[in-house]
Amino acid sequence: MKVSARQIQKANTRKRILETAYRVFAEKGFSVATSIIAKEAGVSHGSIFVHFPTLNDLLTCLLADFGDKMGTRLHMLTHKCDSLDDLLNEHLNVLEENEAFYSRFIAEKNGLPDEAKSAFMFIQSTLAFHFSIVIEREIEKGTVKKLPIPMLFNTWLGLIHYYLLNREFFVNSNESVIKRYRADLLSTYLNLVKKV
Amino acid sequence: MKKCIACGMPMEKVSDFAANDPNKDYCVYCARPDGEMQSFEEKKENLTQFIVRTQGLDENAARKIAENMMRKLPAWQKYFNQE
Repeated sequence: MKVSARQIQKANTRKRILETAYRVFAEKGFSVATSIIAKEAGVSHGSIFVHFPTLNDLLTCLLADFGDKMGTRLHMLTHKCDSLDDLLNEHLNVLEENEAFYSRFIAEKNGLPDEAKSAFMFIQSTLAFHFSIVIEREIEKGTVKKLPIPMLFNTWLGLIHYYLLNREFFVNSNESVIKRYRADLLSTYLNLVKKV
Repeated sequence: MKKCIACGMPMEKVSDFAANDPNKDYCVYCARPDGEMQSFEEKKENLTQFIVRTQGLDENAARKIAENMMRKLPAWQKYFNQE
């Protein structure tokens, strides 16, 4: 079926709204007015509601898309990792790529539509899958301490999320907290869990 | 790239596919030992136990998360559309 110029334009506008919303939410948080997103995207305020009847619809679509993209990216980068060092490093790469939005997302997710929790758990479960494969192998080899897998996983995530949630205290604005503390985060965690 | 219809995992290598068969629409983790795809109840239970085992969540919370993940996947649409 031939796609009309009007349909292409409609799809482009929808894409532009989603891309702009991603950037604006990352910068200003999720309670920002839709009129600001419309202005930044260069579309009329009414145009947003043609594509997304409610703010909830826009958020749900954006978060589902974000969870899917981030989960897939995590899978692509971590499924080839043989060592814990490599896997954690790749996790930090994915977080650094999405740092501003992801930090807002984990800070505000409890006040967002249910899709936020689904996207959050999809991302963490994808990581947990690859993390458990690699760390079980390292425990078996005797290179990592025999500690419960969920505790090893949650300790890493807790550490990283602490820095992301409080990034304003750790870096100057616009600086990446992952970039600045990457080496310390990695070496400290690995020193804690690895056998000497 | 193909994604597993039952769990969403991207399938790249032949070994990612059930029974090493790239014509299959589901992955090695969603297959039974005989190569057939797991049932809805089997997949939900396996996913729940996987979440508990790797992330330490409460079993009821993990079951809800497993259902929400499955809700978006093509293989399980008919189970949720009945609701």
